[in-house]
Amino acid sequence: MSKIVVTGLGIISPIGNSVAENHTALKEGRNGLSQLELFPTRYATLLPFGEIKITNEDFKKQLGVTQSGVTRTTLLALHAFQQAVADSGLSDEQLRSDDTALANGNTIGGMCLSDELYMDANKNEVGSEYISSYNLGSVNMYIQQRYGINGVVNTFNTACSSSANAIAYGARLIRNGFARRAIVGGTDSLAKFTINGFNSLNILSGAPCKPFDAGRSGLNLGEGAAFLVLEREEDAQGKKIYAEVSGWANTNDAYHPSSLSDNGDGPYLAMKEALEVAKLNPEQIGFINAHGTATENNDEKEGIAMKRLFETVPAFASTKSNIGHTLGAAGAIEAVYCILNLLHQEVYQSLRFENAIETTGLTPVTVYQKKELQHVMSNSFGFGGNCSSLIFSKAN
Amino acid sequence: MFYIHQSSCISHQPTFNDVDLEDLKPSEKNLVSAIEPKYENVPLGQLRRMGRALRMGVGTGMKLLGKHKVDGMLIGTANGGIEDSIMFLNQIHDYEEGRLTPTSFVQSTYNAIAGMMGMITVNHGYNATHVHRGLAFENVALDAAMLLRENPDNTYLIGGVDEISEKNHRLVSLAGWYRNEPVSNADLYKGDATGTLPGEGAAMFIVNNKIEGATARLVDLKMVSSHNENFVQQQLAAFLKKNNVEGKIDLFLQGENGDNRLLKYYTASENLMSADTTIARFKHAFGEFQTVPALALWLSNYALQNQKLPAHFIKRSGSAEFNRILIYNNYQGAQHGFMLVEKV
Repeated sequence: MSKIVVTGLGIISPIGNSVAENHTALKEGRNGLSQLELFPTRYATLLPFGEIKITNEDFKKQLGVTQSGVTRTTLLALHAFQQAVADSGLSDEQLRSDDTALANGNTIGGMCLSDELYMDANKNEVGSEYISSYNLGSVNMYIQQRYGINGVVNTFNTACSSSANAIAYGARLIRNGFARRAIVGGTDSLAKFTINGFNSLNILSGAPCKPFDAGRSGLNLGEGAAFLVLEREEDAQGKKIYAEVSGWANTNDAYHPSSLSDNGDGPYLAMKEALEVAKLNPEQIGFINAHGTATENNDEKEGIAMKRLFETVPAFASTKSNIGHTLGAAGAIEAVYCILNLLHQEVYQSLRFENAIETTGLTPVTVYQKKELQHVMSNSFGFGGNCSSLIFSKAN
Repeated sequence: MFYIHQSSCISHQPTFNDVDLEDLKPSEKNLVSAIEPKYENVPLGQLRRMGRALRMGVGTGMKLLGKHKVDGMLIGTANGGIEDSIMFLNQIHDYEEGRLTPTSFVQSTYNAIAGMMGMITVNHGYNATHVHRGLAFENVALDAAMLLRENPDNTYLIGGVDEISEKNHRLVSLAGWYRNEPVSNADLYKGDATGTLPGEGAAMFIVNNKIEGATARLVDLKMVSSHNENFVQQQLAAFLKKNNVEGKIDLFLQGENGDNRLLKYYTASENLMSADTTIARFKHAFGEFQTVPALALWLSNYALQNQKLPAHFIKRSGSAEFNRILIYNNYQGAQHGFMLVEKV
């Protein structure tokens, strides 16, 4: 069976507009959380957010977007997509080839334009330029049309695990012969809709979040996008190979629409099945980029699930302490971070951790350090009980 | 790809309990709305809080999940609970971002249908929601086909669901995709007009690799994203050739929707059919929505089992025996799906 390898990376997050910038910021343990500046909401100064300080107008100029109706969610995706494609050296012909697949995960689509949608849905007699851009499919509709992608095109939604599943889908399309290469990732932009949604659930923290800390008080929302180019190892001869995508799994916690079960059944099964796909034993995992949202529920249950599976829980951390929870983009952004772990043989610190949660006693990585790594795992869990784990392995 | 066993369907026609497609149920006020049945397999307390798409999806799925144990579930929906989304958005606006209740936020997430069914049946297996508009259901079917290669002994629930609600009807209307003038679904294909009639519904299937007890087999599928009808035609020709079924389609089930801007795609694909292929249409019965290919697959299953389709579906009579059916649907001239279905 062909190995599925990563030959291109693209990312934009609150701590950097490129892979290199994100790498430096992670090493330095930089905080990307701040007050909101780019759109009005009553929470702009009340809560910290992982906001990317580039306006939509500037993005459109940088990315050569001249069409109407392109929303921020698409702009972020396009930024990461262009980087990944250039990094992998895919030609225009390869993009147009019918064996090139495109998949992303996102949760907000064009609904980042909450006020415009409100007007279009309730008031306008003539639709705004965004009238056909609100649903989640709009991001890949734009990218597909702009680049003439002719293979399988898809959009995944499993809430906060959306882009982890988009990555797995791409790997499986290649493995099953439905694509030769796949450009996969995720995107989400900050929106009044999600800010108020998470606020109604009382899980937003008024301070920068503290993943896995006993005194954690909820999550911070962030925005960003990342894309990976996946190819068969034999097709990637002569290219830079960042890592192998070796394991994936999608399970359901089947317990509650918005919180995890006491034993973390869904997370446990996702991690366990991803190991089975990768044909690895638990002790071969050197590091876990945890879901680690810093909510009361997630961090405890994720910890319990890790302890169930691993005799000794591997080194783990949550990069949501740097950038917040980027929802549909989180799986893809954290996939890039896992690949940086492998590539540079190092682990990055979880910020603001002080005391372990009593029931688990688990302590994340708190200082940047070099570490020999063969296999790393990334967890993404979402509403609806959707749990996914991915495993990335060091390139030979 | 896989075998289809049980299925269930909610649509504008009586398709849920006693299926009766003989006489076309007329549209009302330019809507091809679903007839919602009495949902017997869904806990009442939960049903009461569900929005329309969630109710239809869970209701259609639970009818099958009550009888079959599955290893996972895959749902296609372009909009999820969009009425709940906009209800929550309006609350944000009306209460100026004050304290809001989370129900409509949590239920509006696109993955709520598959998530809810996973929760009700305590199913820890694969749980996916594909949302790529007019190809959401085709991606579900492809995902299921891959799962059944990876796990040959498994069984999955697959389906598609979307709702028409006041708000998304308004959005799509403003975008110019619906008829402005009053028209009955019986006259949908008459004349030369722009726009179509909105529909809604859900169709679900139990699928696996076992031939015993199966009613149909999905042989292959293909997705195309293009506005060019010649390219779509070439891709369909290649699809027929690859499957060695050129000139061998008994029934061509196509998604014409009365919008003159989309007719060229259907004409181009009809031109690839042989003279004795029966050509049938389904959107006068189900309306237009992104996941209507799930209902077309349900209808193909019906045609294979009954070996006939009521006259109102037929565009051109041909072969009287249905062994091999090709479904072609296109959404807004941008997304095209082909599904090849055979009798078992």
